[in-house]
Amino acid sequence: MKRRKSLFIHFSNIRQLAKKFALVLLVLSAFILMLINKTDTILIEKTSSVATDILSPMIDVFVVPAKAVAGIYDYFKELKQVREDNKKLREENRYLMGNLDRAKALEIENKLLANMLNYTPPPEAKFVTARVIAEEGDAFSHSLIAYTGHVNKVKKGQVALSDKGVVGRIDKVGEMYSKIILITDINSKIPVMVERTRVRGILSGDNTPYPKMIFIPLEAELSVGDRIVTSGVAGVFPAGLPIGRISSIEKNDVKVTTFSNLDRLEYIKLVDYNLDDVLID
Amino acid sequence: MLDDWKENLVSYMQRLLPLISSLVLLFISYTPLDFFPVHNIRPAVGFVCAYYWLVHRPDLFNLVSVYFLGLVDDVISNVPFGANIFSMLVLYILLNNLVRFFNGKPFVIVWYGFIVMVFVAFFTKWLVLSIYYAQFLPFSIVFFSFLFTAAVYPFLSLLLAFVQNNMIADEE
Repeated sequence: MKRRKSLFIHFSNIRQLAKKFALVLLVLSAFILMLINKTDTILIEKTSSVATDILSPMIDVFVVPAKAVAGIYDYFKELKQVREDNKKLREENRYLMGNLDRAKALEIENKLLANMLNYTPPPEAKFVTARVIAEEGDAFSHSLIAYTGHVNKVKKGQVALSDKGVVGRIDKVGEMYSKIILITDINSKIPVMVERTRVRGILSGDNTPYPKMIFIPLEAELSVGDRIVTSGVAGVFPAGLPIGRISSIEKNDVKVTTFSNLDRLEYIKLVDYNLDDVLID
Repeated sequence: MLDDWKENLVSYMQRLLPLISSLVLLFISYTPLDFFPVHNIRPAVGFVCAYYWLVHRPDLFNLVSVYFLGLVDDVISNVPFGANIFSMLVLYILLNNLVRFFNGKPFVIVWYGFIVMVFVAFFTKWLVLSIYYAQFLPFSIVFFSFLFTAAVYPFLSLLLAFVQNNMIADEE
């Protein structure tokens, strides 16, 4: 009896020890994963792409029911707005139709002048529209998962656009799903310029809703409300894509409010500007 | 024979339910919804589920479940691999030593416990990622996320309590 009891205590001690050992091992593995993430990006990227491909369909299953539940709330919220919006849109449409005629005339004129100058036009862009199935926006990271991947020939580094402007770039591509880093993410750095003064800088995300414009010349002329567009430097993003407006200037801190509402993206456009030489796969 | 097989399968599924329900809630938390009152701040559903099950059914939600939940969170989010696992393990270590204290205590005490522990878990994640990126991440947003997660706990724990009471057999 005594022997059995001591055996039981012995066994329980071993179990406790194994549990502690497993805990230490798992904590260590978390650290090692972070270290690999910092040093060997290719291995992590490939693993992450495969894992995203496996998990994303499971999230996708919940998108429709979750949206349906949230939709009831939205329905009542938006009902009032619809009539006013409709009226505004009709007026806007009338104004834009007038602009369209003018734009067509300018396009023809532009083509004629370009021919006279022997101007080489930029390659035509191809795009894929993708549905957003998951979004993340907190203090730790800002990203999206979109339902498109290698099957649609999207590549790492391609620009992600909304109807209002740049939202980010593709970070990881799986077979069916891709991860997109938003311009507000801490890992996002985009060469930009102020449209009015052509002052260049880098738009750097910091995990807040307002990315910062850094590396601006000291004598740069900036004011609140200035439009920020891509500068095309480094060639990853073509020049002139709209990003946002300067919302505040404090000493060296220039904050930008993005044109796109990055928290409410349902569909995004992934554009291939034929920049294969620059994009790293 | 077939009944035995069926019984075993049901019992196995029941043992997996805490992890499955946590994963389902985690997936839903990442779906793009306009539902949240404050944008850019979402509740850390992983912490809520891990805490709930570790307090109420530690026999069905163990170290491996915590690790797996953290790993899945790492895959979906864009934080460096290991960051969510690490913060989940911190929560596990804290709770492992205090789980007996919460046994049979009223809900408010369990909720207060969650608030304290999830703050430590959030702070750890913030610290680890700030070191990783070699710059401080916005603490104000982390703090609001923590407050939001603390506020959401009673509602999510109601859902998890429903799963626990209706779908999982009592502890033997």
